[in-house]
Parts: sequence; C-alpha cells; structure tokens
Amino acid sequence: MIAIMRREIQGYFYTATGYVAMGIFLIIASILFDLQILASRSGDLLTFLGQLSYLWMLFSPIVTMRLTSEDRQKQTDRLLLSSPVSLTGIVAGKYLAALFVLLLTVLSTFVYILITAMYGTVYPGELMVGYLGFVLQGMAFLAIDLFMSSLAASPVTAALLALGMNFVLWFLDLLSMTVPAGIGRVLDFISLYTRNEPFLMGQLSFASMIFDLSVIVLNLVLTIYFMDRRRRKGI
Amino acid sequence: MLEIRSVVRHYGKFCAVNNASFICPDKKITGLLGVNGAGKTTLMNIITGCMPAGSGDILMDGLALREHPADCRRKIGYLPERPPLYDEMTVQDYLAFVCRLREVERADIPGHVRNILELCGLSDMSGRLLGHLSKGYRQRAGIAQALCGDPPILVLDEPTVGLDPRQVSEMRELIRRLGENHTILFSSHILSEVQALCSRIVIIHHGRILKEAELGEESRLLRLSVKGKTEEVMRALRDVPDCSKVRLLAEAESGFVECEMELKQDAGQDAEVKLFRLLAARDLPLRRLSPAGDSLETLFLRVTDEEGGSR
Repeated sequence: MIAIMRREIQGYFYTATGYVAMGIFLIIASILFDLQILASRSGDLLTFLGQLSYLWMLFSPIVTMRLTSEDRQKQTDRLLLSSPVSLTGIVAGKYLAALFVLLLTVLSTFVYILITAMYGTVYPGELMVGYLGFVLQGMAFLAIDLFMSSLAASPVTAALLALGMNFVLWFLDLLSMTVPAGIGRVLDFISLYTRNEPFLMGQLSFASMIFDLSVIVLNLVLTIYFMDRRRRKGI
Repeated sequence: MLEIRSVVRHYGKFCAVNNASFICPDKKITGLLGVNGAGKTTLMNIITGCMPAGSGDILMDGLALREHPADCRRKIGYLPERPPLYDEMTVQDYLAFVCRLREVERADIPGHVRNILELCGLSDMSGRLLGHLSKGYRQRAGIAQALCGDPPILVLDEPTVGLDPRQVSEMRELIRRLGENHTILFSSHILSEVQALCSRIVIIHHGRILKEAELGEESRLLRLSVKGKTEEVMRALRDVPDCSKVRLLAEAESGFVECEMELKQDAGQDAEVKLFRLLAARDLPLRRLSPAGDSLETLFLRVTDEEGGSR
C-alpha cells in the first residue's frame, strides 16, 4: 500500500497533474482571497473557506482522473493485480496519494491565514474547526471521484464522469432550496455542502464528521467492489 | 513447480479455457503454444492471479493460489503481452517501485535493482524515462520487473512480439539464461521460437490442452522411405525394439513407402543403426532415413487438425 501511495505521489509530480490541480486551486483561491478578505478588509476566514470548498468540485476530478482508469488503459493493472498487494491495499494506496496532494494544497492555503493575521485577528479554535470540515469535505469528494475513476476506461472519461457527478451533487444542494420542504430536508441530509455548514460556523459537528467519513468509506468500498468485479469478469 | 489443475474459464457463454491441466517442471522453459485466440493470455492471467478461474486450481510448489493468493503471487513474476510500464518513471525508479510492491527489504533494493539491470542489459538505460525507451528496451524492462523480488516462476506472454530480428535474438538469449535458474512458462504462436527456447511444450487450442510433451521426445521422430510392400515395411518397422509408433505417410508408385516412425524416449543413440540392420536383414532397401523436419510444426498441425482446425 505504501509503495503504491509513493508511486502515485511521484506520478502527480513527475507529470503535470499535481501542478495543474494545485495551480488551478491556488489561483482561484488567491483571487477569492483578494476579493473576500483583502479588498473588503474582512477577517472572516470561515466564509472564505466556505467559498473555497466549491473548488473541490474542480480539484478532485483532476487529482483522481488517472488513479485507476489509467492503469486499466495502459494495462499496468496487471502489475498491481499480480503483486502480493490486495485490492484493498491498492485502492487505499491510491486514495492516500490523492489525499497527500489535497493536504499539500490545504497547507498552501495557510499563507492566507498568515496574511490575515498580519492585518487583523484570527481565531485559531474556530479556524481549526473550519479547516477540519473543509478537509473532510475534500476527502469525500476524492472518494466519490476515485469511485468514478474506477468505472471509467480512460482518464478523460473518468474526469468527465467525476465532474458530472460533482455538478449533480452541487445541483442537488441548490435544488433543496426550491423543492417542497420534505424533499428539501432529504436533499440537505445528503448534501456535502449543507453538511459542511456547522464547521463554517465554528461548530464541531460529530454528525457531519460521521456523515463525511461514511461517504468516504462507502465510496472506497464501492471502488474496491467494482475493481474486483472487473477483475473477475476479466475486462 | 507450477501445476495447472482442471482450470475452466468462461466469458459469458464462451468457454475461453476448458479443463486445462498441465505442469511446468522446475528450472525448465515450458512453451505454451497456440494460435491467436487459443486461450493463452487468459490462462496466463489466471495463473498470475490477475483473473480468477471459474473452477480448477493453480498450484505453486504445492501452494494453491485460491487459498494463498499473496504467497503464490510472491512466487511468480509476470510479463504480460504489453509490458506494464509507467512511462513517466525512470527505469531505476520503476524497478525500485516494483521491488517495494513485491516486499523486497528496503536495504536490499538498490543491490537487487542493480543486479536485475545488469542481467537484463539495462544498466546504461537506468536513468532514462520508460516512455523514451525503444520497443526492445521496453520489453527488457518488462522482463526486469518480472524478476523483482526474485520469484522462482516466470510467466512470459509473447515476449518477442513486435521486436526486430536482432532484438528477438537478444530476448531469446536472455530468456534462455533465465531458464537456467527459473521455472518459465512462455507463450508464443511462433513455432521456431518455441523450438529454439523450450524443453517442453503444451499445445492449447480452443481453450483445451491438446498435447503436453518434452521437445526432445518430438525430435526422436524419423522419416523413412523404404522399398517394399506396405504391410511388410510397416511390420518390420513395428518390430524395431525402440519403435513406439509408426505412421504411413504415402505409398509411391515406384514401390517406395513413405512413413514416419517415433522412437521411444529411452531409445539409445544406435537406434537408427539397429533399424538399418533390421531392414537390410528383411531385404527392404532403405532409400532415405532422416529426422522428421519441422517436427514441432508437424506435431502442432497434426494435433490441432485432429481437433478440427479453426472453428
């Protein structure tokens, strides 16, 4: 598992994938920081984090697109499947590599905290809670999009599938405000964005944490299941 | 030893491997011979654990793949038809990764990789990106990855496909050298290649194993042209002590009988002399006696024809 994680991390930075994902995220984040914090002379980093969380929608498909689909396309899956590592180990290794890139990106956003702290007041407690929700939400997107990658036969298809799925999740979140209250409550219950709201208010929500972790585990299990199914079918 | 026991595999209703059983003895190169679509790659994917069998067992030194998948995979190195290479990695980094994947001790990895690079003639290419290598070197890198972790069994799926004649010759030499210390199962549909490399052959056709034989056995096939009545010639040949099988090929109008004779495996080097003397004693003049040319081709065609040729 560690070997696979290391190789995938190398893969991100031997190719343009890692730089592109981090670059796009940080460019847009910097523009948002300028508009939300610097231009409006605000120290409200939690609202800023709430806006950043929409970027996972773009970031995650880029990071996960080649994780399993490229192995299938280039038939490097033969190497992994004939090795002593189990399918669970393979999927976990790949997910941890994507998580590494996510954490590196999150770490880069700490520069915004430093700049804000230089000119205003930062509340570490609520910021830590905000970041916890932000990272958990990103992790859930990675797991969903890794599952999408396991369904695709090429990285481009995987990216399109993941992007489509992320837009559906976003759209369902928007829809919850316009549909009847009963349906709206159901959509809110499964919305990754609504689930993140307590964190953005500085509240440590165990329900939201458990929800995010459940989404991650469910999607990783589905990834393993579909990869095993494909292995059994020999396709 | 690698043992394949009654392996069956279906793709939907299509039976790709039908009750296949054979063995690959230790430190011998076994050639898996079959036309395109015969089931070679499917069988190799099953043997290496990339795909499960519908039923049947794969045993490696007595360990069943179904019950001990991780232990069995440690014993096997696999070169698929398309080498599983990550183009963005250097040869050295890639081999180090495969070593880690195959659980080689961290401290042993540099030395292990160096030995493999040397053995496969890749030392000069160690710093090159895999994506920049020629077809021949990519194939070598494919074999090199199969050697990581020093598995005693190697499964090579058509390792010379797409190589130029010089590269084919180098690849054969490499496989021959590896065969001295490894149990190799090697698939090909090129008969001359199998003949040049393997000491043992397994013929697969339409997913069924039709023949399993030592290649030396097949080279003990003789072709004769003898003057005389067909029955007398055949009887005389059957009376040769080292003869195991006689087959009539043709009866020429000039009175010559063309036939093929298979010698027993334990036949001595003087088997041909005994044959000559026996025919002379029975007044059956011998016009020609030669090892049956293209014996593997003859065998392959005969075996697959008996099965009904192409579907």
